Amino acid sequence: MQKTHNRNRYALRPCTVIYIILVSFTFITWLIGKSSLTGLGFSLAVLGIALIKGFMIGDYYMGLRGINSIWRWVIILWLFIPGCLITWAFVSAG
Amino acid sequence: MKYQSQAVAKYYFIAAIALFVGQILFGLIMGLQYVMGDFLFPEIPFNVARMVHTNLLIVWLLFGFMGSAYYLVPEEAETELFSPKLALIMFWVFLAAGVLTILGYLMVPYATLADITGNSLLPTMGREFLEQPTITKIGIVVVALAFLFNIGMTALKGRKTVITLVLLIGLLGLAVFFLFSFYNPINLVKDKFYWWWVVHLWVEGVWELILGAILAFVLIKTTGVDREVIEKWLYIIIAMSLITGIIGTGHHYYWIGTPRYWQWWGSIFSAMEPIPFFMMTIFAFNMVNQRRRNHPNQAAVLWALGTSVMAFLGAGVWGFMHTLAPVNYYTHGTQITAAHGHLAFFGAYVMIVLTMISYAMPMLRGREAANSNKSQVVEMWSFWLMTVSMVFITLFLTGAGIAQVYLQRYSDTPQAFMVVQEKLATFYWMREVAGVVFLIGLITYISSFFVGGKEAEEIA
Amino acid sequence: MPSSYTIERRDYPPGDLAIWIFILAELLVFAIFFATYAFTRSNHVALFNHSQLSLNTNLALINTLALITSSYFVVRAVAAIREDKTRLCIRWLIAAVMMGFIFLVVKIIEYHHHYHNGINLRTNLFFMFYFSLTFFHFMHVILGMVILSAVAIKARQGHYSSTDFTGVETGACYWHMVDIVWLILFPLIYIMK
Repeated sequence: MQKTHNRNRYALRPCTVIYIILVSFTFITWLIGKSSLTGLGFSLAVLGIALIKGFMIGDYYMGLRGINSIWRWVIILWLFIPGCLITWAFVSAG
Repeated sequence: MKYQSQAVAKYYFIAAIALFVGQILFGLIMGLQYVMGDFLFPEIPFNVARMVHTNLLIVWLLFGFMGSAYYLVPEEAETELFSPKLALIMFWVFLAAGVLTILGYLMVPYATLADITGNSLLPTMGREFLEQPTITKIGIVVVALAFLFNIGMTALKGRKTVITLVLLIGLLGLAVFFLFSFYNPINLVKDKFYWWWVVHLWVEGVWELILGAILAFVLIKTTGVDREVIEKWLYIIIAMSLITGIIGTGHHYYWIGTPRYWQWWGSIFSAMEPIPFFMMTIFAFNMVNQRRRNHPNQAAVLWALGTSVMAFLGAGVWGFMHTLAPVNYYTHGTQITAAHGHLAFFGAYVMIVLTMISYAMPMLRGREAANSNKSQVVEMWSFWLMTVSMVFITLFLTGAGIAQVYLQRYSDTPQAFMVVQEKLATFYWMREVAGVVFLIGLITYISSFFVGGKEAEEIA
Repeated sequence: MPSSYTIERRDYPPGDLAIWIFILAELLVFAIFFATYAFTRSNHVALFNHSQLSLNTNLALINTLALITSSYFVVRAVAAIREDKTRLCIRWLIAAVMMGFIFLVVKIIEYHHHYHNGINLRTNLFFMFYFSLTFFHFMHVILGMVILSAVAIKARQGHYSSTDFTGVETGACYWHMVDIVWLILFPLIYIMK
């Protein structure tokens, strides 16, 4: 019993770590907004952070990390394509 | 047929097919009037032929839906119909109302019809597709209420399934949205706004629920796939239909005086409307591939698969073609719309009713599960004749529509409507020929009921 | 060594495949919305940048944290059912739904604030997108909460166990989808300018 307990506590760590990373990234995004850091560079940085957050939700929380087929890529593709389109639009806007 | 009371469906199906024939005949008359403007004038002017063509379509589809429900719900609920007598009375009331209305359109001028039926007391007439005299509209509401009561009570006293639930929500929505046909504000923008609540929310909203439920029922019966699997798909398809279809109403609000955001909402959401239809195609083919048995009624399976494909093409693809606001700016109200209307109504709603008739009619006529091989071969011929000719009608109208958009609207030197119409004559002639083939298909379909009746069915 | 939080190798995503078809369809709608927003903005940069100033990033921060936290709770709920801890699973699910409530309340406060200042769909293009996108997402949060509650009720009736937990995973995946959409929406509409 004790052993199972320990194993689970150990295994729990990645998802909790992911949670901490997600929260920190969110604060970074918020800080960039708060300090009125504007411009293309900051916009794309914020977008990049958001895409990474989405990737972590898909891979770890949804559990797509262990999938062998095309399904492993659906969220990544979904993040990548709109990500590219948004980047393109922001770059073209200057 | 498991329950005696399912037999009432037979009346509804026969009436539906009879009115279907009428609809096609008036379609052919109109098609000819496109190229020979004075054909049958003044007996049947173009506007009357058009009104009869579209109204008959709606009425016979309603007969088809009601018949399908009367067949489907007792079987799903595993109990006799609450009141077969009420169903029969309502059948005759609805048929009488329908036939009298059509005769009214044909016998007297529309204005006179409005006068005799007391339209001035509660004016609801004079709007496209909702031309019925107010008194007919009230009749439709009474029939719909009695029908819903009958079906609802049947479902309540028996087994409750997802299919019955979805069908009932669809039929209830059909009745509720029809009530907006009584709302006839002076303000034209408001008038059109709510007019679409009947027209759009029927065909791109609640009717899709009815379509999904009937398709799911026939697939369960003919493939033997687990109910749970089919119900799961049904949930997802209807959720997607509603998410895209309800706000998708916006694609009718581009140019009628509504706020500008409708151009965005309408474009984005209606562009997604093909998704549920695409899911339906995948769903139907998947279920047939996973079938646990080969049902002897292969004609019904063909209709079911055909529905899923043609609904996707007609409603999905042809709808998408002109749904985005920048495209629709040029195409609205042209033959592109007519092309979409034909393939969508045929592919989605005509075909689902014929699917249900194809599945249920053999049992209603006292056979074990299916018609004889001979009869099914004739029926399958009619499937291909009607489907292929409808695809050609659609292609010719699309050709006409593209030419019309260019000549009349897009070109640097736009030409007048009637000038352009003259130039489209070749397209209209070819459409009329395809229409004749469609009528041949329909005659073939009806004849399939009268061949091979004595022969045994194939045990597949 | 397999445990409740590790993921075994397989060909299909967790949960029912049907929910994934639905998730894909939903994600497609949002993707088109995002791209349309970005390209429309590129033609009206000044308008968008100016209008963005009246949004409250503090409230958006609270909402982002609420959704991330609720996603984390849902992960714990899935893990709990995989260990046959039904009661624990239900508790995590309720906690996730509560986070959803916080999101809704904060969002309503924001909407009320705009309404109070006379800002609505028709104010300008930016607010048309702002209200459309956030409200469409808002409806998804509600749907997600309904799904999670349904899963919790079924769990309470004893429908799930360590060998049969597909239903929980199905609800979880939908909820993560709602979260993921907001994670893009938040910077795109509130921060990027």
